[in-house]
Amino acid sequence: MENGVASVGGPQLGEEKNVENQVSGDKVEERVLVGSDRLKDFEDEVFEEAVDSPEQLQDLGAKSEFGVCVKTVGDSSSLVVDENSNMENEAETFEEAVGALVEAGDLEDLAAVVGGERSKDLVGGDSVDKIDEGGTTSEVVCHELNGEKEVSEIGGDGGNEVSMGAVGVKCSHEVGLSREILSEDGKMEELKKDELGTVYHNTGGSVGVVQLQEDNGDALNDNVPKVDTECHQVEKSGELKGDDTVLASGNGVPESEQLMDNSTNLDMGLQGVSNGDVKDTSVPVDSGHHEEIHDLNANSAVPHTVEATAAPEILNLLSEKFVNESNEDIRDCVATSATLREEYNKTEPPCADEKVNGVGKESNVIEEPKNKVEKDHEEKKRTQGNGEREIPTPEKLASLSEKSTGPAPTPVRPAGLGRAAPLLEPAPRAVQQQQQQRVNGTASQVQSQQIEDPTNGEGDEYNETREKLQMIRVKFLRLAHRLGQTPHNVVVAQVLYRLGLAEQLRGRNGGRVGAFSFDRASAMAEQLEAAGQEPLDFSCTIMVLGKTGVGKSATINSIFDEVKFGTDAFQLGTKKVQDVVGTVQGIKVRVIDTPGLLPSGSDQRQNEKILNSVKYFIKRTPPDIVLYLDRLDMQSRDFGDMPLLRTITDIFGPSIWFNAIVVLTHAASAPPDGPNGTASSYDMFVTQRSHVVQQAIRQAAGDMRLMNPVSLVENHSACRTNRAGQRVLPNGQVWKPHLLLLSFASKILAEANALLKLQDSPPGKPFATRSRAPPLPFLLSSLLQSRPQVKLPEEQFGDEDGIDDDLEESSDSEDESEYDDLPPFKSLTKAQVAKLTRAQKKAYFDELEYREKLLMRKQLKEEKNRRKMTKKMAAAAKDLPSDYSENAEEESGGAASVPVPMPDLALPASFDSDNPTHRYRYLDTSNQWLVRPVLETHGWDHDVGYEGINVERLFVVKDKIPLSFSGQVTKDKKDANVQMELASSIKHGDGKSTSLGFDMQTVGKDLAYTLRSEAKFCNYRKNKATAGLSVTLLGDALSAGLKVEDKLIVNKRFRMVLSGGAMTGRGDVAYGGSLEAQLRDKDYPLGRSLSTLGLSVMDWHGDLAVGCNIQSQVPIGRSTNLIARGNLNNRGAGQISIRINSSEQLQIALIGLLPLLKKLFDYPQQMQFGQ
Amino acid sequence: MGSIIREWVGFQQFPSATQSKLVELFGKLKEEGASTLTILVMGKGGVGKSSTVNSVIGERVVNVNSFSSEVSRPVMVSRTRSGFSLNIIDTPGLVEGGYVSYQALELIKRFLLNKTIDVLLYVDRLDAYRVDDLDKQIISAISDNFGKEIWRKSLLVLTHAQLCPPDDLSYDVFSARRSEAVLKTICAGSRMRKRDFEDTAMPVGLVENSGRCNKNENDEKILPNGEAWIPSLVKEIIGVATNGNKSIVVDKRLIDGSESNDRGKVLIPLILGVQWLIVKWIQRAIKDDIAKGGKAL
Repeated sequence: MENGVASVGGPQLGEEKNVENQVSGDKVEERVLVGSDRLKDFEDEVFEEAVDSPEQLQDLGAKSEFGVCVKTVGDSSSLVVDENSNMENEAETFEEAVGALVEAGDLEDLAAVVGGERSKDLVGGDSVDKIDEGGTTSEVVCHELNGEKEVSEIGGDGGNEVSMGAVGVKCSHEVGLSREILSEDGKMEELKKDELGTVYHNTGGSVGVVQLQEDNGDALNDNVPKVDTECHQVEKSGELKGDDTVLASGNGVPESEQLMDNSTNLDMGLQGVSNGDVKDTSVPVDSGHHEEIHDLNANSAVPHTVEATAAPEILNLLSEKFVNESNEDIRDCVATSATLREEYNKTEPPCADEKVNGVGKESNVIEEPKNKVEKDHEEKKRTQGNGEREIPTPEKLASLSEKSTGPAPTPVRPAGLGRAAPLLEPAPRAVQQQQQQRVNGTASQVQSQQIEDPTNGEGDEYNETREKLQMIRVKFLRLAHRLGQTPHNVVVAQVLYRLGLAEQLRGRNGGRVGAFSFDRASAMAEQLEAAGQEPLDFSCTIMVLGKTGVGKSATINSIFDEVKFGTDAFQLGTKKVQDVVGTVQGIKVRVIDTPGLLPSGSDQRQNEKILNSVKYFIKRTPPDIVLYLDRLDMQSRDFGDMPLLRTITDIFGPSIWFNAIVVLTHAASAPPDGPNGTASSYDMFVTQRSHVVQQAIRQAAGDMRLMNPVSLVENHSACRTNRAGQRVLPNGQVWKPHLLLLSFASKILAEANALLKLQDSPPGKPFATRSRAPPLPFLLSSLLQSRPQVKLPEEQFGDEDGIDDDLEESSDSEDESEYDDLPPFKSLTKAQVAKLTRAQKKAYFDELEYREKLLMRKQLKEEKNRRKMTKKMAAAAKDLPSDYSENAEEESGGAASVPVPMPDLALPASFDSDNPTHRYRYLDTSNQWLVRPVLETHGWDHDVGYEGINVERLFVVKDKIPLSFSGQVTKDKKDANVQMELASSIKHGDGKSTSLGFDMQTVGKDLAYTLRSEAKFCNYRKNKATAGLSVTLLGDALSAGLKVEDKLIVNKRFRMVLSGGAMTGRGDVAYGGSLEAQLRDKDYPLGRSLSTLGLSVMDWHGDLAVGCNIQSQVPIGRSTNLIARGNLNNRGAGQISIRINSSEQLQIALIGLLPLLKKLFDYPQQMQFGQ
Repeated sequence: MGSIIREWVGFQQFPSATQSKLVELFGKLKEEGASTLTILVMGKGGVGKSSTVNSVIGERVVNVNSFSSEVSRPVMVSRTRSGFSLNIIDTPGLVEGGYVSYQALELIKRFLLNKTIDVLLYVDRLDAYRVDDLDKQIISAISDNFGKEIWRKSLLVLTHAQLCPPDDLSYDVFSARRSEAVLKTICAGSRMRKRDFEDTAMPVGLVENSGRCNKNENDEKILPNGEAWIPSLVKEIIGVATNGNKSIVVDKRLIDGSESNDRGKVLIPLILGVQWLIVKWIQRAIKDDIAKGGKAL
């Protein structure tokens, strides 16, 4: 197979330079002509072998502005369809040609946008599909292509994406392509392009997911003897609050071919990146996408003949291959490709070949790649350097006539510089950047066509941001310049790429600016540096952490080239945290030196002390970058540093590692002998050692995606130096500028992020702990809890609602004095009972029980009556002169004034000296404050279960308003908990009351403050409704909740409480409801039977949790209770417990032996099976 | 007894100058009446224990890997030459996850059962600048397991000796200070009385195992101070072996831990018996009391 396909991207012709021209319709032709000429040249020279009939290749990229088709050169016309989602999408175009032959008859496409469906794909050569549409906007796009003689087919493709929020908004579109239609139409000369606007929605704040993406790709073919299949992939990415979800849909559009001499395939993949949450979208995510896309491109062995971009693309391919070969080559290649690209844009050299040669000069490898271009598929199969990603091989792509839509996690890069610099494969990214620019250029062109104004959109505001970004770019280039680094340097290139990426993320049509901005920036930087006058507004704070004796202070001295801190080989050099400010190459640098840390597990307490002092020190002036130092020549094996790394993570949080550079000191040391006794190479040594440290950090930080850049340092005075007196490592690297550049780069990126607000974290707080969403379900369930109202002391012992009293009154009357009517009864002594026959005994106990019951009932009734009396008296007292009530108070006060022992907690049955319950008895004093110890009942055996104290007091304000205070403090070895509750309620009128409460309690490490208020209505005798509001402040998150509760008392035996509520905080909502029904014994509280049913529902993040709880207690016989309890939730987890307690049938206890016996019997059985 | 005793082939690999020195040294040892010399090598992971063993034997007898530990259990290498046998026991590193690896120590102890240790080589790096608490813990762990007497038969070996000292110190000063620092740690960690320790005067041997080690005109590996280190190391080893202290015999008793746990073991049944009697007595007293109390009612 040959890769004889040249694909031309119409839009690419336009590139930045041409944009203006394109805007005006008149010039379109001109441009196209030029383009085609160039293409021809280019093709001739570059792709001779690759293309069957290179001469015939022609290309036209045309865009019609007004729906007019441009068809100027040759037969070919190209179509580009772009879409931008409102969310700012970036479009990427790729072209891929795969050398599979596909037949294509005359195909035409019609793309229709259909709404309301998800996109699908088409399969087979015939079908093509698609496009997209937004749920809200539907546009129809038709495009058709013509060849003169025949209609060539095009691949349109649509990718689409659907995202749904909790609300469930979908966007989908489908484009249908019908061949028949096309054939009927015969030739179409018009090319239309439409932009589809897709609208995507963010669903409700909380769940917002979104995504979008779309694209259309078209390919035009003109005469092609052979046509290749195009594959394109559409990438979509969605960002879900910090989660990256990428849906990738790949479309394989097979295409056709046939009569045409030349094939031009143009694919466009548009990549939409939803910027809905720009903040959340982090740069690394994007880079992840781009890399993926890039890979796809790389797989296409077909060189793109697009003029301006052709070279970079070739480079792309080349570089891709190089990746496999050597990283170093790649670096060069990338650097050159970047510059090359710039050159292209500027100079538009006529002949691509020249350029290629030009490139060749810089990186001698280029020639080789050219050849490789021809080797197609085998090459493509190669898997990518990064094992993390799967890249479909080209064959796969080709065969993929269907699009597979499936969520595929994109590798996400952590913030920071990403991979270790020496190991970088910047090539893909840099190239990608170029491509992206190109693509964006296309997009903007397309847009311009419709809008007729290239600078539509955000205009000024965006320009301003861009200017600022430009200044950052200039600043960085100046820094690099001062450090003696060219833009070709890996780190520099990468940072520039990231800046460009960030800009594109922000800017809608900003893509095309990218290339220019670099030129301008670099020119400006050189100018400023040459003048030497302009002060550089940049300073960087670097913090140095590491084990003792690795050379922290020495490194700082090296950075400043003077002795700032004393060092000693054998003593602890640095005793306290200190900083030093100095300038390096005119750049202001502040370095914080810290005392050495100890690696041993037993020394971590000491480390914590040191690190806490560091933390305190950096509170005011947080460092921009952290250097973690270790020795290159000290292999820490067996996770020896793990305790130390974990301590650092604990103290500063894992985020410290996001801004950390691993620095390996003693870098001039010779690599150890390899396993076979021969010396290993220095690079291998460094790589392995870096890997060990990075891996350890990953583990300590708990984030496997971390890839801290590595820098080498050699502080020894005997270190080899170059002519300029700079210290040089054994691999020829001048380490200091590299280290500084890495540090500055991360500061620069942070600045850019702050400017573009790409990240949540404010620049001043690099280590800010990530704010967590408040635990809404927890707050909600505490809100839903039904709380009794605070009562006045005299009402204290009343039934909760008083309704019971009323209900019971009627029923009570019958039994009136029943007990008194009974004949006298003489209870027997134990000895007498023992003499009774069984029947007698039974009769006796029955009688006894009956009497007991009656007695208790009587007592209860008396108690109730007494209460009723007091209530009446109290009511009467209100009318009486005040002295009466005073008297009453005195009386009651007097009664309470004698210290009375409080009811103690049940003492343990045996007198275990380890069980200290008896030590904690307490008296009830006359003090109104009730202070009691708190017993932790689930503590360890023989442990003192008392871990806190509880304080309570009930106040009465103005004799009317009860105000209760209760607080509890518990403290154990690990943490302290404080809980405080202040509640009050006011009754207005009958059946209406309002209560207000304030809670304070520790939740995790934070204090939660809750203010709640409830209003209770009791309109009907049997029904009580409550509505409540609450506001909780937890940490720095404020949540608000609302609840409604209804309590229904059907009769004496059955009551039900229903409640529902919602809690919101941080744009997140949780809904919940609960139901509790209780059925109790006829003569509660005497009867012991009681059944309750509880049901709770909680919905949070679309995650529905339903729990059900049933408990039933039934008395069996005189002294036996059966308690059954079961619970179940919607996850299928449940529990059933049956409990019987009895005070007479001791034999029942033997049941407890069952499990034991079973175990015993099972054991031999298992033994047998085991044998 | 572990590995098969083989002829010391590697001996022939040494430069002739080294060979003659070694022959002389071993001859001296023979005069003392010893026909075997058993050397135990211990230390942290990654300091170069295995490499040192390889260097001393002159063959690649133990696999060495720069980045991960290859030795997961003790290995004994035995070589004989003209009636004299040399045993070197290489051990896994004693550090695991920032703590002393008692598991490794346990392995070593079990391996050493019924062996006699003539010399212990405690290995550390010369080019590390600091000693920390972990070193001390390792040393005290060794003391606990093998008795502190073992330090009387010990030699401190500092590897990576080919270095360029920092801070413009001279090589000798640097190595002296580093040795001193480690010895001080050993003194503290071994819980020997300072005087005893000083009496012992533990010698120090410097080692450079790298293939890049400089060589003198006799093709001997030399240290930056010009000394050929293999003969001097062997000399120190033999010096320790013949320093008059008894070799450490690892027997069951040593392995089962210090005798403090066993002391008074015989008394256990007796105490149990006494307890039983006391309980009985109390029970009886209670019963009497109940009986009496019943009467009173």
